[in-house]
Amino acid sequence: MIFKIAFKNIWRNKLRSWTVIIAISLGIFGGLAVISTATGLSDMRQNNAIRTYVSHIQVHDSAYLKYSGLNDVITQEKGILSFIKKHPNTEGVSTRLRIESFIQTAGGTSGVILNGINPEDEKQVTNIAEKLQQGNFLKTYKRKPPILISEKLATKLNAKIKTTIQCSFTDANGLSATGVFKVVDIFSTSNSMYDEVNAFVRLEDLQAISSVYGSHEIAITLKDEEQVERFREELIAHFPEQHIASWRGIAPELGYADKMMDLVMSIFLVIIMLALAFGIVNTMLMAVLERKKELGMLISVGMNKRKVFWMIVWESIFLSLIAGPLGIVASYLAIQFFGTHGIDLSFAAEGLRSVGLESVIFPTLNANYYILISVLVVSTSILSCIYPALKALKLNPAETLRTA
Amino acid sequence: MIQASNIHKTYNDGKVKVHALRGIDVEIKEGEFTAIVGPSGSGKTTLLNIVGGLDTPTLGEVHISDTNIAQLSENELIDFRLNHIGFVFQSYNLIPVLTAKENVEFLMLLQKRDEEERNERTTKLLKAVGLEDQINKKPNEMSGGQQQRVAVARALASKPDFVLADEPTANLDSKSTANLLDIMLRLNEEENITFVFSTHDQRVIDRAKRVITVEDGKILSDETR
Repeated sequence: MIFKIAFKNIWRNKLRSWTVIIAISLGIFGGLAVISTATGLSDMRQNNAIRTYVSHIQVHDSAYLKYSGLNDVITQEKGILSFIKKHPNTEGVSTRLRIESFIQTAGGTSGVILNGINPEDEKQVTNIAEKLQQGNFLKTYKRKPPILISEKLATKLNAKIKTTIQCSFTDANGLSATGVFKVVDIFSTSNSMYDEVNAFVRLEDLQAISSVYGSHEIAITLKDEEQVERFREELIAHFPEQHIASWRGIAPELGYADKMMDLVMSIFLVIIMLALAFGIVNTMLMAVLERKKELGMLISVGMNKRKVFWMIVWESIFLSLIAGPLGIVASYLAIQFFGTHGIDLSFAAEGLRSVGLESVIFPTLNANYYILISVLVVSTSILSCIYPALKALKLNPAETLRTA
Repeated sequence: MIQASNIHKTYNDGKVKVHALRGIDVEIKEGEFTAIVGPSGSGKTTLLNIVGGLDTPTLGEVHISDTNIAQLSENELIDFRLNHIGFVFQSYNLIPVLTAKENVEFLMLLQKRDEEERNERTTKLLKAVGLEDQINKKPNEMSGGQQQRVAVARALASKPDFVLADEPTANLDSKSTANLLDIMLRLNEEENITFVFSTHDQRVIDRAKRVITVEDGKILSDETR
């Protein structure tokens, strides 16, 4: 009977109840929409970074990381590559020779890192090949060795496809070396900062010019990214003298962004729950004050205060049980829709690229968040109706019957 | 039996002390049909509230069926009211979201009576007050008189020792008043149910079997007819 009265009580003032229900639903919807968009942004930034330049795991010679010496190549390259290629979780592996270089055209100059790569291997690890204007991923272009530069660098150097570029650097013997390359294609990733300082040439071309016969970096992507740390530990166990780092170690800012996102989400959840709590406190307080006489009567005729308390609590639980699923279902549908079709933010594309993001955002939300929100909504509604319920318990039946 | 001895009640109205009751002694026996009468502010509602355990006396004791209700804790008092006292209020005070049947059934649910007994007693009581054809109506679908009859049925549902009615006819027209009094008198005579009213309605006073007149917090007269 308590449930029945509580449920019927919330429909006494339909307008007020629906206002609260819609407000709670909108709060949940808004919060989940923001959280899913932020998660989508964070995931995109992380995935872009992993797929563009970080990969899941990188191997370097320990000295290379300290001194960036040209000759600090990976000493056990063959063994490491063999181990990696045999591992069932390996998706792709690419070796890179990285040399800081001064790059110039007739139209401009810049400092870049020349990445000597094997194009077929690199395709398995990064998505640079998918970001090309013409799809020529370092295929030989007549006499001069090919080079890939970014759109941003091309603009800076006033270069275009077929432009000749001269790269100068110090070779393995400490002598000045110069390579002349022909621009075969122009790429553009979602990270304009990365684009500005990276150029790609074929590994064998760079090795020939620099006289560095080896590689500075082995980049690995895995089939199951949840196994990154495990894979890394296996590599360390087999090759303890190498420096082996996962993407969290290589680009800690991505991990910080994850943690920051968790913090932002927690703050949003607190804001949503506070809004919910104030809505319920306000509504239930009004409901109690409006019904002082009736509550006094219930206590007078023999309804004990525990039952009165629970009646008020159930009223607010019912409100949140209606509003919560409404908000959660609406959020789920919106997240599913925009998660598939994306939210087009082309108008802010340039700004987004500068922080490693693309212009179409795909919101995503872990299923656990829906469960968490459901639990939080119900528990917040219970907590927030305690004050109005206690207010009801303080009613003096004789007084309420006389004065209300 | 209700026995109120030396009942005093003083309210603090700001800095002013209001002496609502000044030493009331009254005894009401089973089966009585008693009206407590007096002008507004005379103390009759206060007396009724104290007798009904809704308010506590500043001084004095109230014994109901050998229980000193002043010694009961708040929760015990609520349970005592549920099982021993029926209430009828001036403005009906039915639960607006429930039907007539549910309103009557409500106290029996609090008493945890089984469904069969609840249904049987609800039907019997609504029939007794002439509302057997209104059982599924909500209070706002009934007239004032009908609502007050539901309130009487509700007051009797818990099988109380007696029914306290605070100005039960104050909001009713003559016809409804007469009808309600007929029902209560019949219940009093046929089922020996004790009724105690506070009223200043002459129509009720005329039909009461005992009239206790209260004025300035004291019993002015106590007349049994």
